[in-house]
Amino acid sequence: MASNWTERISAFCCSPSGFLSGTNPDAFLAELLRELRDDRASYGVKVLLLSPLCEYPTLLCSSECVGEETALDLMSVFTHCPPRSSQFRCHLLVALTSVLVCSSCVSNRSPASLDFIDLLLQICQDTSDLDGDGTQRCPRATACDCLREIEASCPGLLSQRLELLAGLRQQETSWLHQAYAGLQILVLRNAVYQLTKQTGAGAAHLKALLDGNTSVAWETDQDAFHMVTKDSAIQSSLILGPMGRVPTLHTGPDCKELRSVLSSLLEESYLLTPLCQAALFRRLTEVVAMVPGIPPTIFRAQLLRLLGTNEVCLLHVTLLMKCAFTDSLFSAEDEAFLLKRLVVLSQHPLLSTPEKLFYMDCILHFPENRPINCGDEALPVLLTPQLASALLPTVFNDSATLLARLHLQALVFLEEGEEEGRGLAYIYDHLTALLHIVDRGGSRDIVVTFFRAAFLFLFYFQHVEGYSARLSEQLCQLYLQHTQLAPHILNLVDKTLERLPECNWALGLLQGLQRVISTAPLGQLTLRDLSCHLKVLARVAEEGKISQCSTLGFLSAVITQSSSLLCTSGDWRLGNGVLGVCRRVLLHPSLDSLLIPLADILQHLTCYYGDTDIQDHARLYYTLLTTLSREKLSVVLAQSAAEGGGQVKKRTLSCVMAESEGLTNILTVHQTEQPVFQLTEALSGLQQEMENLQLSQDEGDKVLESYRAQFSESGFASQIKLKYHLTHTEPHDPRFEQIFSICLHFSLTDDHYEQLQDISVPCLFRQRPPPVVQLTLKPRRPYPTTIHVSAIFTSKDGLTWHTTMPDVHVEFQQAFLPLPVPLSWSRASRQDVFEGLWDEFCSEMGDCIISLFCCQLREAALKALVEKHFLPFLVSDLSQEDELRVLLFLPPRSHVLLKISSEEDATQFNMATDTRQLLPHMNSYLLTVTSSQDESVR
Amino acid sequence: MSLRALWIISNEKGQKASIRFSKRFSTVEHRARNLAGSSYVAVPEDSDFLQLLLTELGLSNSNKSYVADRDDCLYRPRSPAVELRLNGKGTLWPVLVLSQGPLILAGLPLVDILSEPRPPLANLLSVSQGVTLLAGLQTFLLGSGVKLDSEGLASRVATLPSLLLQVCPLGTPLDTPLAGTPTASTVPTSTVAQKQPAWKTGVYRGRATVNVAVVEIVRSMQYGNQSRQDLWDVYGTVTCKCEVEGALPNVTVTLSLPPNGSPLQDILVHPCVTSLDSSILTASSVDNADGSAFSGPYKFPFSPPLEPFRLCCYTSQVPVPPILGSYQLKEEENNLRVSVSLKLHESVRNSFEYCEAHLPFFNRNQMGVVDVKVSSGQVDVSKEKNLLVWGLGQKFPKSREVTLDGKISFTGSSLGPSDPLCTGLTAYIKLYLKVPDTTLSGCCVDQHSVQVYSSAKPRIVTSRELQSKEYFIWNSTGSAPVSSGQVMM
Repeated sequence: MASNWTERISAFCCSPSGFLSGTNPDAFLAELLRELRDDRASYGVKVLLLSPLCEYPTLLCSSECVGEETALDLMSVFTHCPPRSSQFRCHLLVALTSVLVCSSCVSNRSPASLDFIDLLLQICQDTSDLDGDGTQRCPRATACDCLREIEASCPGLLSQRLELLAGLRQQETSWLHQAYAGLQILVLRNAVYQLTKQTGAGAAHLKALLDGNTSVAWETDQDAFHMVTKDSAIQSSLILGPMGRVPTLHTGPDCKELRSVLSSLLEESYLLTPLCQAALFRRLTEVVAMVPGIPPTIFRAQLLRLLGTNEVCLLHVTLLMKCAFTDSLFSAEDEAFLLKRLVVLSQHPLLSTPEKLFYMDCILHFPENRPINCGDEALPVLLTPQLASALLPTVFNDSATLLARLHLQALVFLEEGEEEGRGLAYIYDHLTALLHIVDRGGSRDIVVTFFRAAFLFLFYFQHVEGYSARLSEQLCQLYLQHTQLAPHILNLVDKTLERLPECNWALGLLQGLQRVISTAPLGQLTLRDLSCHLKVLARVAEEGKISQCSTLGFLSAVITQSSSLLCTSGDWRLGNGVLGVCRRVLLHPSLDSLLIPLADILQHLTCYYGDTDIQDHARLYYTLLTTLSREKLSVVLAQSAAEGGGQVKKRTLSCVMAESEGLTNILTVHQTEQPVFQLTEALSGLQQEMENLQLSQDEGDKVLESYRAQFSESGFASQIKLKYHLTHTEPHDPRFEQIFSICLHFSLTDDHYEQLQDISVPCLFRQRPPPVVQLTLKPRRPYPTTIHVSAIFTSKDGLTWHTTMPDVHVEFQQAFLPLPVPLSWSRASRQDVFEGLWDEFCSEMGDCIISLFCCQLREAALKALVEKHFLPFLVSDLSQEDELRVLLFLPPRSHVLLKISSEEDATQFNMATDTRQLLPHMNSYLLTVTSSQDESVR
Repeated sequence: MSLRALWIISNEKGQKASIRFSKRFSTVEHRARNLAGSSYVAVPEDSDFLQLLLTELGLSNSNKSYVADRDDCLYRPRSPAVELRLNGKGTLWPVLVLSQGPLILAGLPLVDILSEPRPPLANLLSVSQGVTLLAGLQTFLLGSGVKLDSEGLASRVATLPSLLLQVCPLGTPLDTPLAGTPTASTVPTSTVAQKQPAWKTGVYRGRATVNVAVVEIVRSMQYGNQSRQDLWDVYGTVTCKCEVEGALPNVTVTLSLPPNGSPLQDILVHPCVTSLDSSILTASSVDNADGSAFSGPYKFPFSPPLEPFRLCCYTSQVPVPPILGSYQLKEEENNLRVSVSLKLHESVRNSFEYCEAHLPFFNRNQMGVVDVKVSSGQVDVSKEKNLLVWGLGQKFPKSREVTLDGKISFTGSSLGPSDPLCTGLTAYIKLYLKVPDTTLSGCCVDQHSVQVYSSAKPRIVTSRELQSKEYFIWNSTGSAPVSSGQVMM
């Protein structure tokens, strides 16, 4: 059993949605809680059982009310748990906190949450074990953590316990004082924040708060309190830098009490772990920032210790302090020191790479005392090139460090306006060094890093012509040696054009590439190189400003040279590559001057290329080129390029022409970003008409036997048919107004059902009534399930799309069928079947089981319920007063029999089934229908 | 200041990456949802997360040379916090990632600043806290060893739920897992007058012992070239193990330098150091060294934790490297002529625990005939036949200079390893050395300078040693890669 739970819990945590689609969250929750109450289960397993509740409470407790009930159950587990199993008790406290916070019980002050808070406070104060064996320690610390989390999620909840918490912290001498300190400072911070939001609050209120004197000023009206806590601003950080505004509490200089609390926390800060110290300092910073009566200099004594630290979070919190208090705590010298320190830390040999990179980020967002710019990333004024030189990139850096350093240096030199300086020369040398590594066959990581570095360099220094021209030249040489880099280079071209639209560098590079390709000796050209060259040339031909003469010269040479294998081999892909270039040239503004060489090429392809398809395309282009005027040609070709417009016919025509893009566009299955349509359940009258039913020859006496005999025929009553409408989703996308040839594909998330067949729908128009889709499910086990649905379809413009559709959820009750017997059977025979089955099930042999479900329903409500939900399955007469009989058949061969009767105070649903696994589903179904019926009748 | 979720992923070579452990902190997630409002981005399920993260880190589809999503030049992963672009469902940010060896640790801190565009990392305390926690977990999972033993890892992963209950029960990190376990006997504290630090789980009982070790590491890049200046640097760590009675005992360790020693720079101290003199922090490697700088003694008063810890670390600028080398290669018909000389500086103690020079050869065939003569020590050819190992033993000869001369032919049948840096005559010697009882900076801890404020007389042990790391001597006849620009400025 235990190992089973291990597997189930890990399956749940891997994919909660997938797991829950195969079962019912309520059923799973009920199972978890039952197992937790079971004394036979080991604590190891129980800790495991708590993890779904800790990690995904909202999935299991979908409403506040379920959360509340779950919490009550868990609390009773807690009270029955012996103190010695302290680990389990801690896990329980964490689970309780998760459930109550996430199901909004805490924020709505539900009774269970208030009880739980009382319990936590009790545990916190329980120091009775002081001389004991220390078992109580862990629950005490955990209780503090839980309270802190509750206060964080619901700020202000514990404001009135401040004095108690302060006392607990001061008395505690064991390491637990840390947990109290964390709790106290958070409650204090939230309480002060609330005071700042109350008009007229001042020193007296603050004093009352700290003294726990709730009777005086602190009886705030609950509305105002709620308003503050509902506002998410209280949960967000108050340290926003000089531009952020912090709410303040005007107390005048007289706030001795607060000052003494803060000093005592500061004094003991050294005793906390670095992580808790950092959190404490941040909260203290927020409090001091809100209360101008306390000077920031109370932090002074701690500063030196913090500035020398090797702990990243402690130095970070110091920076945040600087951000909040600027020159009221940090002198100009401190500022210079701190910046230098950051530079040192960004390259300290004993720190880890993530820490160094983080410090480098801190340099770019250095909180200056007098900030000039408040933009995104800016260099601090004090960061001189001399200082920054410690962070020059080297080829030995890992790629993240290298790029971060390069970026920083680029900003430094840009700031200096140092265009001819040695710094820039160094960066360029560095880039060259990287390029050489790529040239010598560096790894994929280095290749990507080099192109990113090149982009960074261009982004900042494309205007320094000497360097950018050299880079362009070197890239061309690099390309010639390593043509497989074509996608990287073209990506660099595209991104530079995109980010630096007015810069000519990218065009220069394309021209350079065209030049090296067309002047390289043809003898050494391999077919692989050629394929890359054609990609590059196609991109070059898209640029109207670049002359295409040499491109055509190259193409002509490639296809006509006597040794060329290209024409004789008749490689379709390469032929397409050549045609791709030609097609772009057809659109090129300087086409007139290219007419003859282009015509020659096309004619040569038409006559000699070894692939008929290519010949045909070439002939078409040739004809277009020689017969159409410039304008017509560009119109015809432009249509093919235009996305999404036009009609299906035009699109197909242009596909013939735009052999590469158009064709790949047509051949490619595109992916929609959002679901385009969905399946919504169609309301059916009586759900199913039964098939496979032979007219019975003889009912006879042995009704049950003849009923059973029907099942010997394979496929008898084994299907459930569900009807759905196929409808568009909102918001609608004009491209998908009309769609055709839809093929729906279903994939199961579990093995409860047989695999579904694909379904074809001819078309779906937004204006017309939605088509009906019938899903035929063949259950192996009739449990609820979720089915993933996807579809392939064609849009109006002829493109093929793949889309993921919202999941279809098959509810438990959708598997209900009436008793599968021929229509001609009399009611009496049906009743006989019911009786026969009932008796059999009551024996509880095998999987048979009986059960009872009770609820309070008035007679009218019960009748309405049966009419609404059970009419098709009713075996007895509805007018029969004393007992109603319902027979639910669930394919392939499960039955659930119900005898419903009204007793004095309750309605009883007596159940009998031959498949005991159906009971939890049936239970939760009855729970749903009876509770909804209850409400609707009331 | 909290984490929404964390993941531990193993990505071993030749195996499919998989999530070994994941944990979501639901209450923090609840806060994240409240804080972010309409811009809330939910955490994807594990399998989706893994896929997105691998793409982001450039680890997906490793057989394809170019994948647009992964290799776009516009995009620069801002390690340590990357962003995951969810398919049409917004962007998950900041995902902290630490990877070492086959293990990737990821965490998602809560962003508690409402601003558009997103706030800088530097404003989010949860980022540095997350990095600290993840680094702590990483050390805990991988142990001190460099190599991963998968069984050890599995058993440590299994203890994570109870470990996290201690260090991060509800998403707010409280502590990092203990790096080393205290060996000496401790007792849980009972009633004591003094408050006990939260980073100390018990109190030591027994004889007071203080162990202080100074280890210095020297790195060097030597080019043997007029136009390019040789580089070297030294950094040191001071590790302590203190067994002293009391909840909050006081110990002071003093580091001192010889007269004329260059000051210790870039000092970082452990958080258990109670106070610092500001002059200790003034010297820094990014400043122009100034003769008037404070040069000790460096006093570090602290209250020790139970486990061994790194009291402080520093860098130092020493005037000379311990071993000055020259390396020359000449391509002759079918051979490579090799000539090496190494000179031990007179100030360095001539007594090694080990000293080896490694001469690797890349992008060539395996070695055939190796005909080299050395003036001291002995030369071995590695099994793979692409590396010469010159063992120099425990001592340099009296002259403090050793040489290696000879010819190597690369006539082996199969190709040796390749390296994109070391092509043609670009080649290096890497030195491995360890010298006990010495430091290059001269920094030392005198036994008598260690003060322990306790009743019994403590036993005090101090030691020091020098090691090398990344100690390269480049062939002066080839072009060596640039390693640092600092010299240029």
